[in-house]
Amino acid sequence: MIADSPISKTTAPLIELADLHKVYRVGTELVHALRGVSLLIGENEYVAIMGPSGSGKSTMMNIIGCLDVPTEGRYLLRGQDVSRMSQSRLARVRGRQIGFVFQSFELLPRTSALKNVELPLTYSGVRHRRKRAIEALRRVSLLDRAHHHPNQLSGGQKQRVAIARALAQEPDIILADEPTGNLDSTTGNEIMAIFDSLHAEGQTIIVVTHEDHVARRCRRTIKLMDGQIVLDQMNEERERAKGISTAEGAAAAATGGSEGTAATGGSRPHGTEGVRPDGKRGAATGTVIEEGGPS
Amino acid sequence: MAAVRVIFGVLLFVPHQIGALATNVVTALVQIWTNKIRAFLTVLGIIIAVTSIITVVSFVQGFGDYFTNFLRGLGTNLMVVYPEAVRGPRGEFLRPAEMTVDDIFAVDAKSDAIRRTSPVIFARCTVEYGRQQITGLNMRCASELFQPIRNFYVEEGQGRFFGAIDVENAAQVCVLGRDVLRQLECDESIVGDYIMVDSQRFKVLGLLETQGSFMGDNNDAIIVIPWTTGLKMYPNNRNYMAFYSEAMSEEQVDEAEAQIARTLRRRHGIRPGERNDFGVFKQDQILQQFNQVKMIATSVLGGIVGISLLVGGIGIMNVMLVSVTERTREIGLRKSVGARRRDILLQFLTEAVVLSTVGGLIGIGLGYAICGVASLHPKMVEVNVPIWSVALALGFSAGTGIFFGIVPAFKAAILHPIDALRHE
Ligand SMILES: Nc1ncnc2c1ncn2[C@@H]1O[C@H](COP(=O)(O)OP(=O)(O)OP(=O)(O)O)[C@@H](O)[C@H]1O
Ligand SMILES: [Mg+2]
Repeated sequence: MIADSPISKTTAPLIELADLHKVYRVGTELVHALRGVSLLIGENEYVAIMGPSGSGKSTMMNIIGCLDVPTEGRYLLRGQDVSRMSQSRLARVRGRQIGFVFQSFELLPRTSALKNVELPLTYSGVRHRRKRAIEALRRVSLLDRAHHHPNQLSGGQKQRVAIARALAQEPDIILADEPTGNLDSTTGNEIMAIFDSLHAEGQTIIVVTHEDHVARRCRRTIKLMDGQIVLDQMNEERERAKGISTAEGAAAAATGGSEGTAATGGSRPHGTEGVRPDGKRGAATGTVIEEGGPS
Repeated sequence: MAAVRVIFGVLLFVPHQIGALATNVVTALVQIWTNKIRAFLTVLGIIIAVTSIITVVSFVQGFGDYFTNFLRGLGTNLMVVYPEAVRGPRGEFLRPAEMTVDDIFAVDAKSDAIRRTSPVIFARCTVEYGRQQITGLNMRCASELFQPIRNFYVEEGQGRFFGAIDVENAAQVCVLGRDVLRQLECDESIVGDYIMVDSQRFKVLGLLETQGSFMGDNNDAIIVIPWTTGLKMYPNNRNYMAFYSEAMSEEQVDEAEAQIARTLRRRHGIRPGERNDFGVFKQDQILQQFNQVKMIATSVLGGIVGISLLVGGIGIMNVMLVSVTERTREIGLRKSVGARRRDILLQFLTEAVVLSTVGGLIGIGLGYAICGVASLHPKMVEVNVPIWSVALALGFSAGTGIFFGIVPAFKAAILHPIDALRHE
């Protein structure tokens, strides 16, 4: 069915999930975290994943980030079947193609911000690590804290270091699992402003969030419920503008979020707009896919 | 299976990873520094093991060197033959000890493998000079051949040894070791002067060169007089003489011993099958005894080293397991940014090895310190730490780190990234 989808005739999508299942075994009990998720995400998309707690958002993100493998189903990353990859190949993909941003930052203690940002580069063995790490820190406007240790940084600064770390390897996708979850709303908006500007520069970003105003800044919202996609919609321009306007004006202005997204809007592959995994072209906005689940 | 693949991967990858290895070493050192006390307690076993290796090896080596020098100084073809009573299986006397001057002359005349022979009486005497007195001083009563046989000469410009005439005349003359001067609190002017030896007046003919002490025996606290004079003073020794014999060469020592045995057995009428009524003390016996001591020291060392390396190794394994658990999230994070299993394995293995090597280095420092302090003692032989023992100790400690570090490192390497990141 994916073969029939219009995009597959043009370019391979960045991410292609087909009927993904993930089952955890806890003792004798089976927990179905994902029950048949199908999804296409193209280059330079800016996707928010929402849904109640336990709906499988993190599980999906971990699979997309090659940190975990699905129990069933197929995951193609740039057309490559991830489930066929060896452990070390997966590690390579994590190192070069994926940039993860975690809710709780996950910086190495007693290690300078710069060294933290350099970490992925030491594993991929690229050259000019220092230069690239400095560049990444500059992009999150944290160059002046390069030699500070995590315990000398505020939460927002820590998260910015983590974003720089994800950026350092120039990944295909940035995956952020509740990046603002541990931050107050002002700081959270600052972080989202960074994502906005990265998206404006052409970066593909997927953000898991519980907050509507965070989700509204993204171009597309996917809602999960009980391990299934119940909503996949494009956000309207003015909706996003509203999302940004709820943010602190200063934060938005600092990164020029609204102009940026507007300017790069055209670079998104057109075929992905509102395409449902089953290949049918849905309405561009507000399509609720009712599949018998409580919604 | 996975284990083999990971380890194989590490081996293949090591050359490319010098940079990463340096990073790992730095990470490990930071980690150790953060947990200084824990790290110290952990490597205590390694420290003990390495300290023992360094000190015992150095001491054995030091004594061994000294010993070899001492024996070389004695002359490698020296034998000491002494009378010995023959006892039966229940300790009863079968034959009394007996050795006369005539026996000695007969041996000298009939053995072509022997270059020189000198009768010798071992005694202790009291020496007085001025107000000073030494009791229990070692005395050797020998012939003028004492010097070449024992390779122990009068120092140049400090008088002379006694000659054949002095021996013939049983003259009351003596030569003194350097330490006797020190004990008598006098200087070289004693040469030509008279001293009292067991209340008899002796002229001091010369001073012997310094030999140093050997295993607590001071070879320089010695007085040598003609054996004829000695017999006059201690007539009881007439039938219990001992003698020095010098073989023609080192190779002829065994032959010389056989010739001595033949002569003495015939003269003492010992029938074939009966035991000798004398003993022969040769250098290789001293060497054998020393080698025995060395063996014991080595096996004790082996025991200590083995046990403490085991204890240290288990300590390292334990602390590494704790470290892996403590840093599970860090491992998850590292994996999420591209670390492969082998990277994690190498990181924790490096940490174990750095930890044990730091222990090893402390042990080496301690070993050096102990050897240095021991060498300060005046009665101690010179102890130098051989460089190979340092290499051995470092090898052992690093090996322990690898051996006991592999399990925790492997545990870390195979952690599932998500499980690791979810770790509380
Ligand atoms: N390692 C695991 N073992 C067992 N069950 C798990 C495991 N990880 C997740 N689950 C279960 O899978 C389901 C989905 O979990 P997931 O973490 O993806 O939810 P989520 O949408 O991210 O929730 P939240 O918003 O609270 O982060 C939950 O029911 C959870 O209990
Ligand atoms: Mg989650």
